[in-house]
Amino acid sequence: MSDTDIPKHDVIMIGAGPAALSAAIYTTRENIDTVLFERGVPGGLAAITDWVDNYPGFPEGIAGLTLADNLQKQAERFGATIEYGEVTKITDEGEYKRLETSSGPMLARAVLIATGSDYKKIGIPGEKEYYARGVHYCATCDGPFYRDKKLVVIGGGNSAVQEAIFLTKFASHIDLLVRSQIKASEILQDDLKKIVESGKITVHLGVAPLEIVAGEDKLVNKVIAQKGEEKIDFETDGVFIFIGLLPNSQFLANSPIELDKIGFVVTDDHLQTGMPGVFAAGDVRSGATMQIASASGEGATSALMIREYLEGPKQ
Amino acid sequence: MVKNITIFTTNTCAYCGMVKKWLGAKGHTWDEVNLDEHPEQQAEAMRISGAMTVPVTVVTKHDDTQEVIIGFNLAKLAPAVS
Repeated sequence: MSDTDIPKHDVIMIGAGPAALSAAIYTTRENIDTVLFERGVPGGLAAITDWVDNYPGFPEGIAGLTLADNLQKQAERFGATIEYGEVTKITDEGEYKRLETSSGPMLARAVLIATGSDYKKIGIPGEKEYYARGVHYCATCDGPFYRDKKLVVIGGGNSAVQEAIFLTKFASHIDLLVRSQIKASEILQDDLKKIVESGKITVHLGVAPLEIVAGEDKLVNKVIAQKGEEKIDFETDGVFIFIGLLPNSQFLANSPIELDKIGFVVTDDHLQTGMPGVFAAGDVRSGATMQIASASGEGATSALMIREYLEGPKQ
Repeated sequence: MVKNITIFTTNTCAYCGMVKKWLGAKGHTWDEVNLDEHPEQQAEAMRISGAMTVPVTVVTKHDDTQEVIIGFNLAKLAPAVS
C-alpha cells in the first residue's frame, strides 16, 4: 500500500473507554475528524462494572453498561467513529503519526492513547489453567453461573468489594480473601459490613492465595491460601479475582514513547507524551487515579490539548 | 454459509451486547438464550463451550457443522459468519 492510499484522520484514539469517548465528544464537536480503535468493548472496565455510584450527575448511581452505552451514543451523535481492532505500533512520521492496526496502516495528525487498564493476574498455579472453568475476572459476565454456589473473591480494593457484593445476588456464600487490609472506600466497607453481618460474606484478612485447584472434571473446587504459618483450604465452586490494575501499554514496549516502571504512559502537564502529537489520558496514564470521572476529565483536557496541537503554534 | 446463530447471554454482560451489536451491523439475525431468564440452560452453554462464561456464540453452517466462539472475539467471529 502506498502512503497515498493509507486512510488519514485528524485524530485516532486508541481505546474507547470513558477517557477516549469523552475526548471524542469534544473533538467531534469541533469538527475534528476522529476515529476510535477498540479491541474489546466500548466503555472498557466501566462497561463490565455492575454499578457506578460515584460518577457525577447520577444521584441514584448508574449501571456501568448503561453509562458506557450513553458515552458511546453521545460521542457518535457528534460524528465519532468506532472501529473494532487493535493498534500494534505508533511511528512518528512528522506531520502524521503512522499506526499499524489490525485493519492495516492508518495515519493521524494526532493520537490519543486511552487504552485503559485490565485486571491483574495473580500468577499462581491453576489461575491460567482453569480460566472460565472456575477462574473469572468479570462478575457481571460470569456471576450467573454461580447461583446457590460457594465462591471465593480475591482482593481488598473497591473492585473486589463491589463485585463481591454484586456476586451475593447469585452465590450462597462468599469467602473474601484479602492479602493485607480492606482498602475499599468507606461507603463500600459499610455495605460490606452489613452483608458480613448477614453471614453471606466472610472476610479473611492477611491471607495470600497460593494455588487454585480443580477436580477430575477440571472445574475449580478449592483455593489453597497461606495465613501466617498456616495453609488453609477454601472449598469453592469458583474464584473471582480483582487484585488491581495493569496498564494496557504492551504495544508501546519497543516504541520511543516513555513508560514508567509499571508500564503506565508518561506525559507532561498537557497530557502529551515525548512523541509530539501523541497524547495519553485515563487509566493508562502515569499518575492516573483510576476513576471513571477522572478518566472523563482527562479525556476532555486531552481533547483541548489536541485541538491546540492541531492548530499549530500561536503566532 | 450460515444457517443459524445462537448466542448465550446474561443481562449484565457487556460483551454479549457487543456480539449482538456487531452481528446486527453485519445483517445477521440470531436466537438468544438469556441465562438469567433460563438458568436451566447453563449446563447446555457449558457443554457446548466447555467454559462457564458468556457470551457463547454458536454458528451453525448449512452443512450442520458448528463453530463455537467464546467472548467478543472478532478474530474468530468474523470468519465464522462470513
